[in-house]
Amino acid sequence: MSGLLPFLGSRLLRALVALWLVSSVVFVVMRLSGDPVPLLLPPDAPRSEIFRVRAELGLDRPLPVQYLVFLGHALSGDFGRSIHFREPAVRVVAGYLPATFELGLTAFVLAALVALPVGIVSAVRRNSLVDQLSMGIALIGQSAPTFFIGILFILIVSLKLGLLPTSGRGDWRHLVLPALTLGAFAMASIARLTRSAMLEVLGADFIRTARAKGVAEALVIVKHALKNAAVPIVTITGLQFGSLLGGAVVTETVFAWPGIGRLAIQSIYNRDYPVVQCVVFVSAVLFIVINFCVDLVYGLLDPRVRTG
Amino acid sequence: MNNLTRRELLQGAAALGVAGATAPRSAQAQTTQKRELVVAQGGDISKFDPHFSTSSNDIRVSFNLFDNLISRRPDGKLQPGLATEWKMTGPTTWTFKIRQGVKWHNGDPFSAADVKYSLERTWDPNVKSRVNTVFTTVDRVEAPDAGTVVIHTKKPDSLLAARLAFYGGQIVPKKYLDAVGGDQFNAKPVGTGPVRFVSWTKDDKIVLDANPDYWGGKIDVDRVIIRAIPDLAPRIAALLKGEVDLITQLPPDHGERVAGNPTTRVLSALYAGFYVLAVNSKRPPLDNPLVKQALSLGIDRELIVKELWRGRGIVPSGFMVKGDTLFDPSLPPLAYNPAQARDRLKKAGYKGEEIVIETTSGYTANDKPMSEAVVAMWRDVGVNAKVEVVEYSVRAQKNRDKSFKGLWWSDPTSTLGDPDGMMWRLLGPGGPQDYWRHARFDELGDAARFSADEKFRANAYREMTKIFLEHLPWVPVIQPYEDYGAQKYVEWTPDPLQQLEIRRFNLKVRRA
Repeated sequence: MSGLLPFLGSRLLRALVALWLVSSVVFVVMRLSGDPVPLLLPPDAPRSEIFRVRAELGLDRPLPVQYLVFLGHALSGDFGRSIHFREPAVRVVAGYLPATFELGLTAFVLAALVALPVGIVSAVRRNSLVDQLSMGIALIGQSAPTFFIGILFILIVSLKLGLLPTSGRGDWRHLVLPALTLGAFAMASIARLTRSAMLEVLGADFIRTARAKGVAEALVIVKHALKNAAVPIVTITGLQFGSLLGGAVVTETVFAWPGIGRLAIQSIYNRDYPVVQCVVFVSAVLFIVINFCVDLVYGLLDPRVRTG
Repeated sequence: MNNLTRRELLQGAAALGVAGATAPRSAQAQTTQKRELVVAQGGDISKFDPHFSTSSNDIRVSFNLFDNLISRRPDGKLQPGLATEWKMTGPTTWTFKIRQGVKWHNGDPFSAADVKYSLERTWDPNVKSRVNTVFTTVDRVEAPDAGTVVIHTKKPDSLLAARLAFYGGQIVPKKYLDAVGGDQFNAKPVGTGPVRFVSWTKDDKIVLDANPDYWGGKIDVDRVIIRAIPDLAPRIAALLKGEVDLITQLPPDHGERVAGNPTTRVLSALYAGFYVLAVNSKRPPLDNPLVKQALSLGIDRELIVKELWRGRGIVPSGFMVKGDTLFDPSLPPLAYNPAQARDRLKKAGYKGEEIVIETTSGYTANDKPMSEAVVAMWRDVGVNAKVEVVEYSVRAQKNRDKSFKGLWWSDPTSTLGDPDGMMWRLLGPGGPQDYWRHARFDELGDAARFSADEKFRANAYREMTKIFLEHLPWVPVIQPYEDYGAQKYVEWTPDPLQQLEIRRFNLKVRRA
């Protein structure tokens, strides 16, 4: 385990550089995208009023100065005040996180619970009816646009069958459709990748050897095959988890779910720089943390990763 | 998928034993047992503080948490609010009698001092409100005793009562604001209105409870929930399924779906505003009135209303919206006459110079489809017309720099029920759409602004309308209807200015 500390150190350094780059890019892009002030004021606001509000928000200062101020504050966890809500941006974003985690985690657990067994079974029973059916469905899940799946669910499951609420956040019943909609793509990708990774390993010599030794089939699949196929599966699963937490804009919009994806999009429309920066920062942190966990899991699965 | 019948709904529900399928649905449809009203709008609010926002999503809430001195009802008439009586007591003096016995939601007594404080707060440079241009005609406010407010205007202002009835005019609690500050007030608002604040989860829902002691009587429900459902299809689905009682922003092409459903219906108000093509009259050939007349004559507005708005609108007749106090019903709707249009172009010596509509896509309803239709109509009469699509922030920038190439969409709203609050505010000297000046027009507009003589004002606007129709600084296109979807048990009248009036006189829920 002597390699672990330098490993952690270099990861941390890389994470900090990534966060700095992401924040800076967003800072510049948001400033290029337009002025928030006309959006805040009534359409007939006089010019003097526009200048006054620009000054009030610090937008009249040169861009480099604005950038330094932003970096300084960001380092102490202060992303400024939301222009749109008149509240600290951090507090605004924090208010959206519980809904985001609730939906993202459920979608992820749902996706993983369904996709992993399906992928494994499809690989083991290659070309069987189960395989063809599940991979067919997976193809649809991966290629159908999210808004289409979402609206289809609402119209059929909620409106026509009357089984579940159409939208909004509430008890578990409100969670089912958005989680299925959001998880569909991840579910499909994980299932397909699990299948192909397993197929590759199942054809390898050591599997034949294990079988020749008379190892029970279940043990061959789980211990010999799955463990060796795990690295790509963990990678894709981790990546999907990240995008489930940060990239649920469409699902959140269709189901009126109060998550950070929707907050991000609206804040971009409103040119609410502080909130956009804070959302992107939080999403980046989530991604980096998940990737870091994936890396740690690699280490557990394959000792070569630690030294290499 | 679009034509779920009632039978299918019933079958689905009955087969699965879902609640609601037990009682006959048709009887249920007309009444309800519910004590709460759920409203879904297309976007969430941004703030509760009424002096910091003017967006339609926000005012639907803030006009119910707070009261104004005077209230403009959905029929357009001004009625007592926190003021029981008001009159002009001098050319520049208005005296208001303040309602007695009113309490703020936190129990504090309301008085004239709150009124003085609220109005002054709108223009206080330290507060930095977003409504500091609403009361520019006001010189000072006095509260000589707890029951009286006197407002002195800089010049005679016959529209002061109307100004007090719209945004910026909401009365906020002095004592509470002094004690907790603006941020806390915005987070936990306290008003005198018919509902009081309970909770807000951003982009999810706002919960408001009926104010049992409301001076205008307790509203007809115990609780009001305002949900934000941005996507249209789920918003309509939530209404059809009965999860919500009222939805806003129902586009013309979805009305049939709501009207065709046995338990829901469409409610509408003629919107107190226009969609106009504003004109940069400084750019040749648009500096020539004959060219602008040709453009106006070249638009088949009836066809646009019929095809793009499914008949949900009327053709304007001038710069006043139908519903304005001074609206002249004898004026004919703006005409479509391609032969005359060609003739005017010839007289104007038009040589095929390019005329551009800069449109956003989806910022105002039907902006891009209407631009394309108009340009096709203009080409038919020989105008070298073109559509350019710009992003919203580009439009905002051009609006500020006054740098539009030709024409662009504007959605002026008659917030005061008077052209001074719409046409003159936008097109007048120094206004945001000041691209054209005319000595007589300006003289009349200025005189009408500072006159309290209704007859004089009516005549002035009549003469201005003639000049307007000759020079067309705007080419008005449509005055649309604003549609809502509602459960049939909800009896409610929509407001021409997009307020959500839920006070007792305007909302009734039919119960079994």
